[in-house]
Amino acid sequence: MIPAIDIEKLSVAFQSKTGATHALQELTLSVSPGIVFGFLGPNGAGKTTTIHVLLGFQAATSGTAKIFGQSVTDAVARHRIGYLSENPDAYSFLTGRELLTMAGNLFGLPPSEIKRRVNVLILETGLSFAADRRIASYSRGMRQRICMAQALINDPDLLILDEPTGGLDPLGRLEVRTLITSLKERGKTVFFSSHELSEVELICDRIAILANGRLLAEGPLGSIVPAGENLERFFTNTVTRRTDLAAPL
Amino acid sequence: MRQIITVAHVVWLEMIRRKDFYILFILLSALLIWLMIFDVFGLTTVSGYIKDLGLLAVWIMGWILALNTSIRQLPQEEQRGTLFPLLAKPISRLNIILGKWLGSWSITCLALLCFYITLWLGITIKEGRFDYATLCQGFLLHCAALAIVCAMGLALSTRMNRDAAATTAYVLTGTAFLMLPKIPSMLIHTQGVAGALLLGLYYLFPHFELFDIRHRLVHDWGCAPWLTVCEILLYAVLMTSVFLILAWLSYRNRRFTRENLT
Repeated sequence: MIPAIDIEKLSVAFQSKTGATHALQELTLSVSPGIVFGFLGPNGAGKTTTIHVLLGFQAATSGTAKIFGQSVTDAVARHRIGYLSENPDAYSFLTGRELLTMAGNLFGLPPSEIKRRVNVLILETGLSFAADRRIASYSRGMRQRICMAQALINDPDLLILDEPTGGLDPLGRLEVRTLITSLKERGKTVFFSSHELSEVELICDRIAILANGRLLAEGPLGSIVPAGENLERFFTNTVTRRTDLAAPL
Repeated sequence: MRQIITVAHVVWLEMIRRKDFYILFILLSALLIWLMIFDVFGLTTVSGYIKDLGLLAVWIMGWILALNTSIRQLPQEEQRGTLFPLLAKPISRLNIILGKWLGSWSITCLALLCFYITLWLGITIKEGRFDYATLCQGFLLHCAALAIVCAMGLALSTRMNRDAAATTAYVLTGTAFLMLPKIPSMLIHTQGVAGALLLGLYYLFPHFELFDIRHRLVHDWGCAPWLTVCEILLYAVLMTSVFLILAWLSYRNRRFTRENLT
């Protein structure tokens, strides 16, 4: 079976005035289709950098990354991806419906299919009352929901979420959690980075822990966290215990 | 092509829903009304000065609109956080550049058409007239000049922030428009390195003066030869392509991280 995400010895280094910063160091990771994968790590661990490489926002210094067997450098690889960024925002001068239609057009969907999916997503995200209002008038939660709808317009096989619950109230978090669970039930792959370990514990099948650009642990949630420990303690122990190993080169 | 038109469509909607065009349109209308009501030069029956000042205003406003619209496109995507969702779609960076250019240029041309119609109305009310064929030629050449301006603005904004790109673009286009026609006469008295430098600038910068046939319209000199107009249009296609290729070369491998998004 072709992995949804296949990362092989991926390294990313930034050149700055103070020298090279290694954001990722030979990261190797494989995500099978149909699972919810939690990508964890402290701030600056390299989670967002990994996601940016997967989406082609920045190039890797070395190594390869593939989405469903296609190199991430090829725009075609993004046909099967939905993405929600860390601080999602949308064109405030468009209405919610216009934004979703635009996203559908960028994926090359037929107009009738776009119309159908836009209506379904507007209903699913509970934005029927505001679909024809400009996004400028939306609240933060509504913006998050319209951006999520935009990420789902192509009915993606792989959904990449960069800290999707950051800044959301408990109700918003619950909505995101429910959405991820329903996507998993439909056989979709969800790859998401998060600091909310309690949520990760609830919904993830596998996790990976990253620190200083290096992979510290990876595996099914049930087997890598020792019995009697919760994820939070395991995460803290793993990151602090192996800081020396993960120190930047 | 559909992706290019989709990106352009967003530019159109933004322009229609922003105030820039409406403000410039009101300014042009106010200028024309002022010229018509207050007999500034004591020439009550002559519409030539209205043509002259009106066309100058239309050129300046078209310039401002083209540069402001094209320059803000890419930096604005970064500032408002819409760049990542856009790049995450299966769209190449070339298509983003082409869509942004097409959107900026076409909406500026539409605004320009409104400006020309307003000017034509003003002149007609003042019992003056334009030679329609020359007016069409003037509009066509003006649109072609703005295609280069939009491509140039876009190319500069791929690496500079909005303010820096705007300043550079205004200086470059202004210099090109005002100084390039004077270079041949300056070359007579300049030799050596300075002469070669001037000659280099003469061929490097776009010649916007080629597209300006305001004198023909003001003094009713009639149409320019259509073959010459076609050659100038070809020149516009060439220059626009050069700037768009430069924009793409600069943008295609640009690395986007959270740090360089302001």
